[in-house]
Amino acid sequence: MRTGALEWVDAPERGSVRLARFMVWLVHTIGWWPGHALLYPIAFYFMLFSPRQRRVARRFLGRALGRKAGFGDVFRLYFAFASTILDRAFLVTGRTAHYHIEVHGLEALKARIAEGRGCLLLGAHMGSFEALRAVADAGSPVEVAVLMHEANAARLKAVFDALGGAKRQEVVIPLGTTDAMLRAREVLERGGLVGLLADRAPRGERMQPVPFLGQEAPLPTGPHVLAAVLGAPVMLAFGLWRGPRHYEVRFEPFADATPPGRAGRQALVEERVRRYAARIEAVCRRHPYNWFNFYDFWQECGR
Amino acid sequence: MPDGTMTPTFTAPGLTAQELEVARLIVSALSLEVAPEAIEPEAPLFNEGLGLDSIDALEMALAVSKAYDVKLRSDDERNHRIFASLRSLTAHIEKHRTR
Repeated sequence: MRTGALEWVDAPERGSVRLARFMVWLVHTIGWWPGHALLYPIAFYFMLFSPRQRRVARRFLGRALGRKAGFGDVFRLYFAFASTILDRAFLVTGRTAHYHIEVHGLEALKARIAEGRGCLLLGAHMGSFEALRAVADAGSPVEVAVLMHEANAARLKAVFDALGGAKRQEVVIPLGTTDAMLRAREVLERGGLVGLLADRAPRGERMQPVPFLGQEAPLPTGPHVLAAVLGAPVMLAFGLWRGPRHYEVRFEPFADATPPGRAGRQALVEERVRRYAARIEAVCRRHPYNWFNFYDFWQECGR
Repeated sequence: MPDGTMTPTFTAPGLTAQELEVARLIVSALSLEVAPEAIEPEAPLFNEGLGLDSIDALEMALAVSKAYDVKLRSDDERNHRIFASLRSLTAHIEKHRTR
């Protein structure tokens, strides 16, 4: 199964780059607290003027909360999203002083790193990628690379540049180039970490329908195929927003290294996509306001 | 999976013997549903041509390095040309192979 048109490419990301620029300007001039106060009207504004995203967000929340989602629920989600964008401006530049970042599972990650075989870190579009990276960058004795969509990578670079180009250890490998996976492999060979978000895929990627919050949703198989081809161990990684300047970063064991070869690969990949979905589902139920996939995730429209 | 070298040889128009060998390696390594003989030597392997993606590129690189001991590295700026077609890939292998 391959995806048809995906909406996320023009989902709130476009607005969020403008928002991020504004936030950068804001925090440089007035600081975090006034910025935080402004999140209320900003979240309200975005919620009001994105009816399509509001609808899918509400449907997601209903499923994650197990009850009908109201106005307040949707607002909380938008507010959390705006908060992570504000915080990005601080976290990227390493200004983490007033932040409370709880870290779980760092020992397991360090044990993986100590094995020297590298590790794939699979995340999702939940919470803050920046909080996650703040921990991965600061806590990692090895190199960290992130596989990312070219368009997003360019946007992210624009935001980083606007922030004054922080010196980061980590490298962005743009997906969609022929040698992207070769580069990822070389990072792993050097014992490094390679992160990628495994809940979305660009148009044309192979997808597998799996149960997710009570409905079948198409999830990409690519990240799991990559892990199988490389035989690399896999951990899950989340940077969840818990409240103002409060994040929970989690690293969870997911899969051990596997022997190379195609034998049994399809079954392995299918099992992992299902298990990944189940794990994401559990995190969604615990942290429902962290889901930042503002598009028709279940591909229900036009069904 | 049948070993590529066991396939009976019949000459494909337009493919050299080496190209056919590399084509068989690719088809077998990636389990492609296309006859090695049917691969157009000059057609792009990726995207619009054979429709391979970057994970396929990785598997292909692994298979090539195993079969010919030719390492395809990401820092090789000629990658774009090497991976462009069966012909360019074969030429690269012939130039660098040690076995």
